[in-house]
This record gives sequence, structure tokens and C-alpha cells, in this order.
Amino acid sequence: MAADFKTAQPVEYYRQFLKKDVRPDGRELGEIRSTIVNIGSISTAEGSALVKLGNTTVICGIKAELCTPTNDEPKKGFVVPNVDLPPLCSPRFRPGPPSEQAQVVSQFIADVLKDSKMVNHEDLCIAEGKIVWVLYCDMMCLDYDGNVIDACIISLLAALRNVALPSIEVDEETAKPKLTSSTSSTMTVQSLPVSTSFAIFDNSILIADPTNEEENLATGVVTVVTNECGELCALHKPGGSSLSESQIQECVKRSFSRGDEIRKLLDETFNSLDR
Amino acid sequence: MCTMKKAAISNAEKDFILTCIKNRRRVDGRQAYDFRNAKISFGQDLGHCEVQLGDTRVLCQVSCEIIEPRQNRPTEGGLYFNVELSPMASPLFEPGRQSEFGIEIIRFLEKTVRDSRAIDTESLCIVAGEKVWEIRIDIHVLNHDGNIMDCVTMAAVTALSHFRRPDVSVVGEDVQVHSAADRDPVSLSVHHLPVSVTFAYFDEGKYLLVDPTEREECVMDGSMILSMNIHRELCTAHMSGDMLLVKDQIIRCTQTAIVKVSELTDLIKKALENDRKARASGNKCGFAETQRQQKVTYLKRDVTEVDVSDKVEIPEITLDETEDSKDQAESLVVLGKGTVQVGEGGHNTWLVDDVQGVKPVQQKRKKKKKHAAKKVKDAGSSEEEETVILVPDS
Amino acid sequence: MTSQRADCGNLELRSQSCEQNLLSRPDGSATYCQGDTSVIVAVYGPAEVKQSKEFLDKATLEVIFKPKVGIPGCSEKFQERLIRNTCETIVLTALHPRSSINIIIQVMHNAGSLLSCCVNSTCMALLDAGLPMSCLVAAVTCSLSCDGDIILDPTSQQEKEAKAILTFVFESRDNEIITSNTHGIYSIKQYYSCVEACRKYGFVSCQSPLGTTNTVEQ
Repeated sequence: MAADFKTAQPVEYYRQFLKKDVRPDGRELGEIRSTIVNIGSISTAEGSALVKLGNTTVICGIKAELCTPTNDEPKKGFVVPNVDLPPLCSPRFRPGPPSEQAQVVSQFIADVLKDSKMVNHEDLCIAEGKIVWVLYCDMMCLDYDGNVIDACIISLLAALRNVALPSIEVDEETAKPKLTSSTSSTMTVQSLPVSTSFAIFDNSILIADPTNEEENLATGVVTVVTNECGELCALHKPGGSSLSESQIQECVKRSFSRGDEIRKLLDETFNSLDR
Repeated sequence: MCTMKKAAISNAEKDFILTCIKNRRRVDGRQAYDFRNAKISFGQDLGHCEVQLGDTRVLCQVSCEIIEPRQNRPTEGGLYFNVELSPMASPLFEPGRQSEFGIEIIRFLEKTVRDSRAIDTESLCIVAGEKVWEIRIDIHVLNHDGNIMDCVTMAAVTALSHFRRPDVSVVGEDVQVHSAADRDPVSLSVHHLPVSVTFAYFDEGKYLLVDPTEREECVMDGSMILSMNIHRELCTAHMSGDMLLVKDQIIRCTQTAIVKVSELTDLIKKALENDRKARASGNKCGFAETQRQQKVTYLKRDVTEVDVSDKVEIPEITLDETEDSKDQAESLVVLGKGTVQVGEGGHNTWLVDDVQGVKPVQQKRKKKKKHAAKKVKDAGSSEEEETVILVPDS
Repeated sequence: MTSQRADCGNLELRSQSCEQNLLSRPDGSATYCQGDTSVIVAVYGPAEVKQSKEFLDKATLEVIFKPKVGIPGCSEKFQERLIRNTCETIVLTALHPRSSINIIIQVMHNAGSLLSCCVNSTCMALLDAGLPMSCLVAAVTCSLSCDGDIILDPTSQQEKEAKAILTFVFESRDNEIITSNTHGIYSIKQYYSCVEACRKYGFVSCQSPLGTTNTVEQ
């Protein structure tokens, strides 16, 4: 009966739940699905992490390569994020060139990476004007159940903190790079941005961490990215129903507490490795 | 003309246009050899211009970058044309892939501008075999009302004459590119200005019109495009459509083209001169200045000041961190080495609730067993190894 | 240009101008200039829609964003999505089911505040096309300098020096934010003061958009 109701009138079905301040999957309106982080999931990558946000699963692998810097900025290395939404993660994606959604998420993550100054690009310099590191950060979605941006950013953050770069020097005679020692150094991640997404339901109700179903029914979405200093790195609201000041405030507040939670989660994860 | 979606035209309209032409008239009142009004305006950037030919509008931007030259031409720079038949111009133009018509235009431009040596490509060389300038010409068709070809050629030639590339100096192996503030940019060496004229043929070549509109293009048999410079040198002759011409017709066209080309060249030169003067005297230039301000559809608001003196209350954000963080610390669940969980809301089809805390650890154990099994296997046969792995470790 | 602006007060917008119905082929078109930033927008629709993109209950809205130089990439797709979502909010697509509305944006010159110029231009083009809309929109970009000063409608030089750049789109009914896009790091307080500064202007804009008032006068 409930299933029929849901198929026939999905919006009404949701309204019945939201009236009682609860969502069909048992969560409260502001509650975020359980988040699991696993780091070092890919042994062959320089850094990697797997993040599960409820059913949404994103794996991030970072591959480090050597390349020459640009003439304008001879000291700066590169970080190239890319989000892949393959057909395996949801029937809504078709094989072939990246979907619009994948390109939009990639761009958003590239913006967050740049705006929040997560990585000091000069750390990636090996020999000025000659050789720098380029980090290819590939985020692959394995299961798409909404809110892929949040999962991607957590996975990128965890993977970047997990990156271990071999120490390399330029041989003066041959001008070629050579490995100086087998030990590898971890990279410093300067800032720890965490994003929190909300869906707007029926032009007024805010629900945190929307599932795929909720995203499809939503009349708008908001993504707030905060860093560890209590600053905002992005407040992205692409159209949709309008929000009042107090609602935005509510989103920001929730994302600050969520940011702390995730940063603690990551710290704990890295601590558990040392044990 | 090509396999692009053909514009639909009703028989009545077709007959009307053809009858007009047979009576030596054109629908817009022009004479057979008249061009529509052409207007050239420049943007603020160098090498940026917009050309209007009646209602046909084309935007052109020239840019440059340093590339490695081709192996067989180590001392020559490149000219790269990119023509975008933007869906803005006509609903029949599709975004994305290049249509046959688009390729035809690009090829025509290459023949007219590059192959006629209108631009000195050797002067674009910086270090032979290593670094040369590539000049990129991006052309966007904004509105399609016929005769895109002439409009595009005019835009490309004008923009190339308008463009200035940054100056470079070579010291030893290092190439230094000077910014505009550092050293005045250099203009390209333009040998001559090729301009094209389109002739449309109707009724098996009996009637001939210059600068056809989009409607006229729909009913024409075919067209011939001649591009020529002011020195009466023919640069390109391009024929398309299903019609045959006799020698005299072509000669007649070239005679007409000579006149038209000199008119258009004058226009281009005058426009360039005007823009140069405006820039030299420090006047404002750019598209905002060239809009048709007398039109009813034109609207303007001058610099607007915004009064923000009355301070609005900014809501304070207080975070009850203490409570939250306590909760969080308790809710963190370590599932194994490098695996931690927080929160428990929502669906999760990967882990069953009851064994949530245990399962990942189990996986770890499995892995260890595998390794152990491998060690054992070293002594035994490989078949044995398979079986060891397949046996569930209950 | 930049030096001229430096001595003016910060909280003012560059002169703006707009011309509607300048292209003959599209159903609606407009060019919008904010200072030297200039874009052209064309609107086609409601028209026939490809079967694969058809919706039974609303019109399919598509936005194509064309940069001046080069091939469109990820960042253009991002802008397209942002503008499309904004337009979907204001255009009453439900009145034209199973049809397509195409919006094509061509950048003419970018001298800062490009995104807000695109949105304003799109709104004017939609008006020109006569598509049913629930309200109008006004977009304002502001930047925060390193000292935390707000600069409205920044030039590209000011954008380069800025600590953060924020763009807001307000609707004309309740003057609430429907789109917010930000770059850079800023505090929540700064966010609200930017919103307020921009809203002030957005309000003026929406109450008397360039279009309606001046046309009547003329």
C-alpha cells in the first residue's frame, strides 16, 4: 500500500512524513546519513580514500606524475581533480563522454580546491622551472544515491592527506629526475574544507544530505562549504526556490557542526592507522 | 548547399521571390549588384570585431599563443581558423559538432587568407624549429540572414589587421614575452586584404544577384564566391550548387567583384583608421559605445550609487560547539585500521545493521588468512591455493 | 579604466546599457553591458523538442554558453547549469509542455562581473521573447578586497585582487536570493553584508528594470 502510494504520488508521500518531522528513511530533517571513511584503499595509488555516505559511495585515487611547470608560474605544481560518474553507479548515466552532471561536479570541486587553498602548489615544486608534481585526483562514484558533492569532497580531503610522495631530486649532470631515497613524505594539506548539501522541499522545508529520491523531488539545493577556521569557502545555490536569511543561517550553522564532525572523523581515521 | 537541415520555404514565397528577380527587383528593394549596409565595430580587446551585413552578424576574435612549429615548416607560424555556427544564428544550426557548411567556411577562409599569403607567417617565427606564434581566429556567427561567407571573410581580415601580438625578445635560449605595459604590442604584417563577394544564380544562371539574403539563398540554384584584393588579384574562386556557367558570366562577375572589393576594402580601412584615432585620443571604445542609442529598444542607466549607510542587522551565528563535539566524540566508531564511521541515519545496503561494527574487521582477517595461505601454498601446488581461498573462513 | 574607478566611491555600479531585439532570427534577443563587460543572449522557443529531451509536463530549457575564444569546457558547463537552474525557477515552463526553450549566451567582452551580466542579459532576452515568467531577476556581483571592503560590480582587475567574489541573483517578488555563487574565503558576517549591499541594488533593478521604465519614457 505504502509502496503504491509512493509511486503514484511521491511528493504527497514525502509530505506525510515531513509533516511529522521525519523522513521516509527514518532520519530527522537535519540528520546526515552515516559516513564511513576508509583510507589507503588503493595500494597502487599515491593516496586514496573510500567514502560512503549512506549508499552513496565515492572512491578517490590520487596519481602523482612529474611534469614541467608553466612559464608564468615556474614554482607551482598542479592538482587536477576529476569526477567520474560512470553508468555503473546509477541508471541515469549513459556510457560515453562525461555527463553534464559529472562536469558540473568536477568544476565545483576544482573551484573548492582552488578557493579554499587546500594545497600549497609551491609544495609540489621539485626544481624551479623544470620539474613539478602534478596530482591527478580521480573521484569515481560507485553508487549514486544523492549528495555526490559532499562525498567527493570528503574523499578528496582524505585522499590528499593520505598522499605520500617519493623524494626526488634533479641530477645536475644529466638534468633528469632521480629518486634520492626510498622514504616518501606526506603532503601538508593547508585547509580542510567540508561541504554540506541541503535540499529544499516544497519551497520551504530544508533537509540535510538528500538522497537521490529527495534530490529529484526537491525544488532547490544549497551546498555550503566551510573550513576549519569558521570561514565559508562556498555557498552555492544554483537557482531553485528562494531562501530567506534565517534559512541560509540555519544551513551555515549546520554545516559548521558537520565540518567539525568530519574533521574529527578524519583525524580519528588517521590515528587508527598508527595504532 | 550542404546536407545541413534545409530551411523550409513555402512554394508561394519561392515563386514570389523568383518572380521579383525576373522583373529585376529584389524583395528588400536593392538593385541586383547592391550590397546591404555593412557596419564594422571593434571591441575593447585588440583583434576583436563585429561585422554586420544587413541583419547578418558575425563576431571575430583573434588571439595568439606560442607553439612548436611543424617539422616541415620550422620557420613558419600558423593561422588557425575556428568558425562556430552558433545556434544563436539560426535554429537550424546545432551546437557541438561542426556541420559541413562550417567546414566549407573554414576551408574557404584558409584558401582566401592563409593560402593567398595575406599574412606573413614567417614573421611569426621566434626561434626556428622551436617556437613560433600560432594566430587563432575564432569566428562566431551571431545572426544568419544570408551571405555568411562574405561577412566572415570581412570579419577575419579586419580582425587580423586590428590585432597586435605581444612583443618578444630572445636572449640566448630564453624567450621573454613582454606584457602590453612593458612594450607596445606589434601588429601582424598583412600583405594585402582579400575580400570576398558572393554571387547567387537563379533560373539556370540567367539572373545574378550580389549579396543574397537568407530567403534568396533558399531559392537560388547555386552561388559563386570570388575573393579578391584591391590590386585586382583573384585569391579564391569557389562555386557551389547545381548550375553551370559560361565563361562570359564568370568574367562579368570578376568585373563586378573588382568594384565591390574596392568599396569593401575602403570600408575596412576607414573603420580601422577610425578605431586607431579613437584609441590614440583616449576615447572610450568597445561595444558599449557602438550600440544604436537612438533606438527605442536601447536602454541605459548611468553609474548608479547604492546607499548602504543604513546598517542592516546581521544575524549572529552562535555555535553550541561544546554539546555537539561531545556527541560526536561518542558517535565515532572505529571499524578497523583506517576505517571509521560516524552517524547511523539512513539506508545502507552495504552493511547489515547488526554486524556493522564487525564486518570490516572480518574482511581484514580474511586478507591475513589469504596471505597465510599463500605462504603455505609455496610448498604445495597452485591448485591447492585455489581451494584454500575458496573455502569460507567460518 | 581601473584607475578611474579607484577614486570613485566603492559602492556604485558601472553604467549599464541594454538593447533588446537586436538579432532578426531569434524569438528574443538582448545585449547587456555592465561597464565594458558585454554579452549577447538569444532565446528560441517555445519550439519543437527532440524526443529524447521531451518532458510531458513542462518545457525543456537548455542553455548554451559560448566563450569568446576556444572550445567550451567544464567551467562553461558549470555556468550553463547555474543559469539554466535560475531560468527554470522563473520561467513558467509548465505552460508549454513538450516544447523546447533554447537560450544561447555569447560572451562579447569580459571586463569583470561576467556571471551577473549573463543573468541580467538572459532576463532581458526572455522578456523580449515574451515567455511567461513568474517574476524578473536581477543579478549583482560584488567582491571583497583583502581589507574586507565590499566593491560592487567589480572590474576584472578588481576581481583579480579580490579575496572573494560573490554573485547573487534576486527575484523581483520578495527580493529573496534564488542563486548564490561564490569564490574565495570569507566569513559569515561578510557574506551577509555582501548580500545586503547587493540586495539594495537588486531591489532598485527589479522594481524598475532598465527595460520597462525607459521604454515607456521614450
